Amino acid sequence: MRDLNTPKTNTWCPGCGNFGILNSFKNSIVRLVETGINVDDIVITCGIGCHGKIFDYLNLSGMYCLHGRALATAQGIKLANPDLKVICFGGDGDSLGEGLEHTLFAAKRNLDVTLILHNNGTYGLTTGQFSPLSQKGYQGLSTPKGSIETPFRPIPLLLEAGATFLARAYSARPEQLCATIVNAVLHKGFSFVEVLQPCVSYNNSYQHYNRIVKELETIPEKPDQALKLATDQDSVFLGVFYQEHKPVFHEELYQNRNPFRDRIPASHRTLP
Amino acid sequence: MKERTYTVLVGGKAGEGVKKAAQVIAGVFCSRGLHACQADDYQSLIKGGHNFSVVTAGAAEIECVHQKWDLLICFDQRSVDEHLARLKTDGSIYYNSDEATCERGFGLPMNALMKKHYQGPANVSMAAIAIFAAVMRMSKDMLKELIKRQYKRDVSENITYAYDIYNLITSHTDLLDWDATPLGYRFLSGNQAIILGAWKAGLDMYYGYPMTPASSLLHYAALKQDSLGIQAIHAESELAAVNMALGSALAGCRVAVGSSGGGFALMQEAFSAAGMVEAPLLCVLSSRPGPATGVSTYTAQEDLWFSLFQGHGEFNRIVASPDSISRALSLSAELLSLSWEFQVPSILLTEKQLSEGLIDLRHSSHPLPEAEPQTGIPGKDYKRYQDNLKGVSPLLFPGSQFAPETVIKWSTHEHLESGLRTDKADEIVLMKDKRQKKAAGISSACSKFETFAEYGEGERLIFAYGSTVLELREALKFSALKFKIVAPVYLEPFPLGLEKYRGASAIVVEHSSSGQFAQFLKWKLDIMATTVIKKYDGRPFDPEELSELIREASHA
Repeated sequence: MRDLNTPKTNTWCPGCGNFGILNSFKNSIVRLVETGINVDDIVITCGIGCHGKIFDYLNLSGMYCLHGRALATAQGIKLANPDLKVICFGGDGDSLGEGLEHTLFAAKRNLDVTLILHNNGTYGLTTGQFSPLSQKGYQGLSTPKGSIETPFRPIPLLLEAGATFLARAYSARPEQLCATIVNAVLHKGFSFVEVLQPCVSYNNSYQHYNRIVKELETIPEKPDQALKLATDQDSVFLGVFYQEHKPVFHEELYQNRNPFRDRIPASHRTLP
Repeated sequence: MKERTYTVLVGGKAGEGVKKAAQVIAGVFCSRGLHACQADDYQSLIKGGHNFSVVTAGAAEIECVHQKWDLLICFDQRSVDEHLARLKTDGSIYYNSDEATCERGFGLPMNALMKKHYQGPANVSMAAIAIFAAVMRMSKDMLKELIKRQYKRDVSENITYAYDIYNLITSHTDLLDWDATPLGYRFLSGNQAIILGAWKAGLDMYYGYPMTPASSLLHYAALKQDSLGIQAIHAESELAAVNMALGSALAGCRVAVGSSGGGFALMQEAFSAAGMVEAPLLCVLSSRPGPATGVSTYTAQEDLWFSLFQGHGEFNRIVASPDSISRALSLSAELLSLSWEFQVPSILLTEKQLSEGLIDLRHSSHPLPEAEPQTGIPGKDYKRYQDNLKGVSPLLFPGSQFAPETVIKWSTHEHLESGLRTDKADEIVLMKDKRQKKAAGISSACSKFETFAEYGEGERLIFAYGSTVLELREALKFSALKFKIVAPVYLEPFPLGLEKYRGASAIVVEHSSSGQFAQFLKWKLDIMATTVIKKYDGRPFDPEELSELIREASHA
């Protein structure tokens, strides 16, 4: 097994929820390799923000993308070579602010990639402004009187958009997080994992989550049950809310072809 | 028909099949051994309004359509009103007498005859085909075969309707030789040529979002996906299209994107990213009048500076603009290949006039280059951004099958050779210098191709680029004075071969209100523009009128 560490110095704040995501993700890769996936076939993308630094801490191929565009680029990688397992890391600004369109359309297409959303409810790296997932009333440098917007509810949003695997995990519950990522990557279709990730500097939600999270015992059978549990006010449930099997975009588009592997050779490119 | 040309205009409402009828007419000319070209003028609406298409044919090569008609076919009053003034004195007009009146020509009851022949939706454009066929003395059997080949629906109704129209035509010309065997021909638009050229060089995937006049790149790639083995993806936005394309390039596919000015503006940040991640990316920018939404369906050359300075930050790019549809095909192949050789983004800059103009493209034996990267050795020591003399790092693509035990990291952040990010002063300089080293190689590699063109002989110089060159070449056929047209094809890097004109005086012709191209020539070659002939109403020049403007300018 390849050493997944890089020589890069980690610059997240001490206690940052991202450490939990990084460690669990590394363990997920080990487990995925145990299932027979070649580590060379795993490709990652990320956006810009604290979450994006994970790219440099993982000895895996991929692209450190533009802000908001990581999921578009991930889709482009998958479409060019569908043999690759493509995993995209996104922050709440990246995936639900600047790049919301790509998130919705990846789900709409049921494009066979995984989105891991680092939900810290704030813009950490730009010094704590409110994010698309910040609670109403959140006070940051751009909203000194408190945010007047209602946050998105990512799981209902993506269920409606067409995602076929929807789960929630918590950076401080490494085992559940690791297992969830493994299942998400193994799922054929668009898989979405919302990871609750406390930001110790601007949105320290450890105590709140420690008190309120509860693991789901089973996967709800119907979408309306999933919605109810995903939006429960008393508990924040962790686990898989919904999974279904539907045709994936690249197979609908070109069946078993692989555009990169099966490139038309120059000798067959005769102008009509 | 040795010296002269013949121009047909078909006019009517959107949805009446004007463009298709003109294409069928152009095809007939080509099949009889003539050269032909076509221009379509349409508005941003789907039904109604006013559309017209012009076809000019001749024995000699035609560069662009003429604006005086030998044959004018009008389905409605507006077509008569708009175009009668430009009917030649010996030209003929045929109009729909159920919708229009006209002091000249022949009125035909096109609507009444449609009612007689069609049960369901009728096709008035069949009248244009029939009029043209009769005027050209095409036999009824040949007309029948033509309709059967070109129109798959309502075949028998189309034929009986066309016959009724045909029988009403009593005036004929002997321009075409019907005894000769028809020739095969390729009648291609500029955008089709761009896709085909890139495909020949290796294009695997095209990403786009509809925007006139670039949409037909996407349409053609989509239409040809099975026969060419190309994937055409209509993304949720231009932002998505170009960022997806970057991902596909990372995975090894030869990719292109295209849009007009507005969509291309949305692609700016990713264009800059292509410079940073060193992505081989071909971009097609097909201009229309701006700024902003501008004028959707007309032509302009307002985006020269925009393309030259596309993207923030400093990085190498290649920008070139085809001066003909055949050049669009070869240039598209050249740019894709250069992008891959140097891992830089390139822009094929063109305009509506060339993108959507159609011409009979003759086969060229000129070999086209292939888009192949500098490859590396897979393994633990691989570095995506390895520094070397040329600044072009070896390129590998992820996957156990292609690069085992290899980590390939692309980064939009400034980075080390490994692709890991950095913000250290000396490491920033190292990587900026590495990328900058490509400039010399790009410049000499471009010189392998025809980086500029010259047409005509003469002491007097006229500079133009893009589709304006087509108009000029046609205009000079009307000119008693001799000129040499100098047309840069490559704009960045600027062709070294043009140094011979440094400091020269010249007329400059361009479709821009600010004279960007003249300013560009001043900057690059210190060209003294004696007159800048500008046209910025969205319409192409009439070659005859342009020749008059040049005559005036040369006496100025």
